[in-house]
Amino acid sequence: MVAPARAPLRTDRLRAVNEPQPVAVELSADGSPAAVGRIGGSEDGKIESINETWRIDDEWWRQTISRLYFEAMLEGGKRVVLFQDLITGNWFMQKP
Amino acid sequence: MTRRPTSSLAACVWIPLFPLRCEEARHEGLATYPTALLAPDTTRKLWQVSSLARHAGVKPGMTVSQAIGLCHTLRLIEPDPVHYDEHFASLLSALNEVSPVVESAELGLAYVGTDGLEGIFGKPQKIIDAIRQTVGPSDRPTVRLGFGLGKFTAWVAASRAKPGEAIIVPLGAEKAFLASQPISVLPLDSATHRRLRQLAIRTLGALAALPEEAVTAQFGAMGRRLWRLAAGYIAEPVEGRIAPEPIVAALTFFTPVGERELLAHALDQLIARALKHPRRIGWRVHAVRLRADLESGGEDQRDGRSTTCRAPTNQRSWLITALLKDPTAAGARIAAPLKTRLEQSPPTGAVERLVLEFTAFAPGTSELQLFARDAQAAARACQQRALQSAAREIRMRVKRANLYHVIEVQPWSRLPERRYALIDYEP
Repeated sequence: MVAPARAPLRTDRLRAVNEPQPVAVELSADGSPAAVGRIGGSEDGKIESINETWRIDDEWWRQTISRLYFEAMLEGGKRVVLFQDLITGNWFMQKP
Repeated sequence: MTRRPTSSLAACVWIPLFPLRCEEARHEGLATYPTALLAPDTTRKLWQVSSLARHAGVKPGMTVSQAIGLCHTLRLIEPDPVHYDEHFASLLSALNEVSPVVESAELGLAYVGTDGLEGIFGKPQKIIDAIRQTVGPSDRPTVRLGFGLGKFTAWVAASRAKPGEAIIVPLGAEKAFLASQPISVLPLDSATHRRLRQLAIRTLGALAALPEEAVTAQFGAMGRRLWRLAAGYIAEPVEGRIAPEPIVAALTFFTPVGERELLAHALDQLIARALKHPRRIGWRVHAVRLRADLESGGEDQRDGRSTTCRAPTNQRSWLITALLKDPTAAGARIAAPLKTRLEQSPPTGAVERLVLEFTAFAPGTSELQLFARDAQAAARACQQRALQSAAREIRMRVKRANLYHVIEVQPWSRLPERRYALIDYEP
């Protein structure tokens, strides 16, 4: 039999886009992020300013998701979005 | 002007969910899973849904996320309209072997004119058997056949037939047959359907029992047509199509040309010009011929010797033909076999005039005509081939397919990673 030109697409082959990437964050005295670095990678840089902060609490009926987001400007002008998982305390970076 | 061939007796050939059946035919075992085809447009909604998926609550028009929520084992398939059209075009060609009068209505639905076929095949049952034989083995279990006077009766019969079976409506029995059928077989929109049901009109017989004027007053011209269909007063004939005359495009060179690259370039131009010809609309090219008038004159150019003492030589020419296995409206696919022949057996002299002829055509579907009506047709087919070629190259280079489609999963979600997903893209 001739192999099919295209394989069927199964839902278990769906890949999420923009998955949060774990990062290491150094906190300032007031608890906001002061510097960020990728896990196992080079230091991304010190945070120059925090532009915006927001919180997402969702899916409390399933497995609660609680995140505190920071939109920050690094030294050099790079804009990043970080969040702290308020359940585990871990930090992540995500594309805005 | 040539009249289109028509036939009052009609056989309806209907393969429901034709695109999905095409996919099941080329993916072994797919029919055993709940399956859904994504819409060909960019809305990323479901287009067609298998019965297994339907049992799980999945319906056409749902978003991917809704469908996955209802059926975790759902298999999603990217649509391949060019493949469906090609498959349907081959079905129409096969039906043309039974009758010269074949009308395509939509993908998976065609009418065969059967006037006069009783002289060849015998009774209507024999005609239906002959039509069934032309349907490919993979489609035979799902095809539904109907036979009757006019397209509507044949369609209603096919729509009421079980998969793989046929209903024959004898001549003169149309009214009695139609009277018991539900109004859903009529070509009506959901609002009209709802209104008729609210009026307790559930069968064609109930509709036909009302005065025609009353139905017209309520529903306008469309109501009048529905009434006449229900009463069996409309028996639209099957309208066959006349294959177009050959399409010719020619190019005369200022100076005779011998370079194959230049000839190949000229060939591309001729194909593009011939494809744009109005007669080609709705048809796929099945056979093509390329001929050339070669440089002549009083001298034989090959040995350089004078031939003035010889009898006048005939105009030299060169000819190649190609029969396309899959009729197509894509320029590149028409050019490919001609260019191969051009390389293998080039003209034996410089070409003064190059003539391209499309000599045979295969009919297309109404959907196909959407593609084939203009350059969009060829563009779409070419785009698909180009994508396939690019994907093959990527697979060869990186040893795995790295092509994905971005689909909306929960675009409204507050969590960014829930909004979109990638699915493997294999054109």
